[in-house]
Amino acid sequence: MKKISLLLVLIVLAFLKNVCATELPEIHGFAEGAFAPKFGSDKTKHENFNMAEARVQLKSEYYFDDDTVLTDWQTYISVKFDFLLDGYMERSFVTDIRELNVSFMPFDFMDIKVGRQVLTWGTGDYLFLNDLFPKDYISFFIGRDDEYLKKPNDALRVMLFPDWFNLDLVFIPFFRENDVPEGKRISFFDAFEGGITGLNTRREILTRSNNPENFMYAGRIYRNFSSYETALYYYRGFDPSPRSYYSERDLMLYYERLDAYGGSVRGPVLSGIGNIEVSYYYSPEDSHGDIRERQNSRMKYLAGYEKDLGNDLRIGFQYYLEQTLDYDEYHRALRSLDYRWDEFRHVITNRVTKLFANQTIRASVFTFFSPSDMDVYVRPSLSWDATDAWTLTIGANLLWGRDSWTEFGGVQKNKNIYVRLRYSF
Amino acid sequence: MRKKILGAVVFMLTVLLSGSAVALTAGDVIEKANQANYYQADDGRAKVDMTITDSLGRERKRKMTILRLDAPDGEKQKYFIYFDKPDDVKGMTYLVWKKPGEDDDRWLYLPALDLVRRVASSDKRSSFVGSHFAYEEISGRGIGEDLHTIESEDDSFYRIKSVPKDPNSVEFSYFITLIDKETFIPQKEEMYDKNGKLYKILESLEVKDIGGYLTITKMKATDLNAKGFTVCEFSDIGYNVDLKDDIFTERYLRRPPRKYIK
Repeated sequence: MKKISLLLVLIVLAFLKNVCATELPEIHGFAEGAFAPKFGSDKTKHENFNMAEARVQLKSEYYFDDDTVLTDWQTYISVKFDFLLDGYMERSFVTDIRELNVSFMPFDFMDIKVGRQVLTWGTGDYLFLNDLFPKDYISFFIGRDDEYLKKPNDALRVMLFPDWFNLDLVFIPFFRENDVPEGKRISFFDAFEGGITGLNTRREILTRSNNPENFMYAGRIYRNFSSYETALYYYRGFDPSPRSYYSERDLMLYYERLDAYGGSVRGPVLSGIGNIEVSYYYSPEDSHGDIRERQNSRMKYLAGYEKDLGNDLRIGFQYYLEQTLDYDEYHRALRSLDYRWDEFRHVITNRVTKLFANQTIRASVFTFFSPSDMDVYVRPSLSWDATDAWTLTIGANLLWGRDSWTEFGGVQKNKNIYVRLRYSF
Repeated sequence: MRKKILGAVVFMLTVLLSGSAVALTAGDVIEKANQANYYQADDGRAKVDMTITDSLGRERKRKMTILRLDAPDGEKQKYFIYFDKPDDVKGMTYLVWKKPGEDDDRWLYLPALDLVRRVASSDKRSSFVGSHFAYEEISGRGIGEDLHTIESEDDSFYRIKSVPKDPNSVEFSYFITLIDKETFIPQKEEMYDKNGKLYKILESLEVKDIGGYLTITKMKATDLNAKGFTVCEFSDIGYNVDLKDDIFTERYLRRPPRKYIK
């Protein structure tokens, strides 16, 4: 797979060189070194750190400018590759194609983008309700740049802009799962082991096959009403995190079928920006909620508010609620030694950001706190643009939980601080 | 339409200067200057090059393209900004729906995350992209925000004193603008802090005629306390380039209009 990726990169570069007869289009990107010592003792691959890597990212865009229909359609190709030397994984060299897509405008009310691309929508800050596109939570926990929280998809995206509303239709033929704590780099709560587990986990995850019945669809219809952005969302696919049991006896989890329907509103409220988002997650494989091994249908609710206090100081708050539907059926189906999840999980978040020194220093703290789970995740970070090209970022991932089976409590042995030094070009 | 009004005013002024009855009020002068500086033509495009120099002489560069569309009537405007430099923000786009007297609607698009962020901003005095220009010094301060008086005038300039109606919303106690009597281009702006001390100077360093519109092509903001300054140059300026309203929407945050950005 790694060799194929590298070959693909070389092919694309060769193509670009030929297509643009005179010169390559501008190539930009960065080179970054990152290291994160860690402070929990668990049985992950390396006890003392969870990130040690060197990364180069190259990106470019090519706009067609010839006499063909491609130019009439304002066609352009976007490419972005990451080359990673991962010191955590025995200095393995990874080529990651993050973007490889073609965009064009066949009609003036339609934009199309096909290929590998990152897809994001919804109004939450680090909280996702109607955005079921895959995420990399491992990168999130170890202190990589925010960019890496989102995983790209191979997809066809059709965006339509008739007069009264806008439509965003996404077709994803290949399922991509979330990268969730797996025990190798990030320890987690393993229900099979009954506690926080690292490399000693024995659980397996059943992967999804790529056939037409597993194709996924997502859509959004949206428009502004003066300053208020409104949207309705739809998703038909699979839960990108493995939450349900395929076979408890074989210690196997799987990605259950999931449909999501939701809506959001965002706009000015009390001299700040407020947002509300709601989503109904329907589990067709457990529609009555009484199958013990399968996730019930759920509701997710979000209310947020962000304000600029002046002098480059901004604060934001969110209140997030997850509700397990058919809770009585769920409870009745449980066996006596099973872990029991609450019907309601409450989460409060807070973000404070301040810029200093002509906006060259950025201090930020993001906190997740669950009063119902009694766990907390604090993400402080400080970044300094030493010059226009060099940026130094230091931060930490601080996690605590009263119990080990909650979302943040389960990963509390992965506390770390991290340093990243980046040269951009 | 606006050009006709400006033309009429200039004509009137010429008549007036030859010795006649009605003089311009401070409000008139400020209105003319506002129009001349921020509302030329129905739309505009410019490449912006900023060099930010700190007290130790270290430089940072900001490069972007700004598109502007005026509403057919009134002070509302829309801005689309494509960031080119520094490299770590290249490709980001910013959209502003300016509504004087209210908070602007602002959005920032981060291409690496495909994320359209709504930006909460009630502070128009904060620095624009880390330069010594405040956000509203680039986009225009609402003329209704201050009480204006003509402090003095000579053959060449009006000296207008402006005092904020809401002193708590700004860091200055007043500012003095030197406005050219012929062109209504603000030549210099001196800002005085809460103690009455001069702390910031804005200057027009170069003015050119672009397609019939007198345009400030180089301006400088100096922070006397921090001993730093920013020089901002506008180039590749176009007026009435036929910008459509739909460019100033989420669609084009994701797909910057290459025709104008190149």
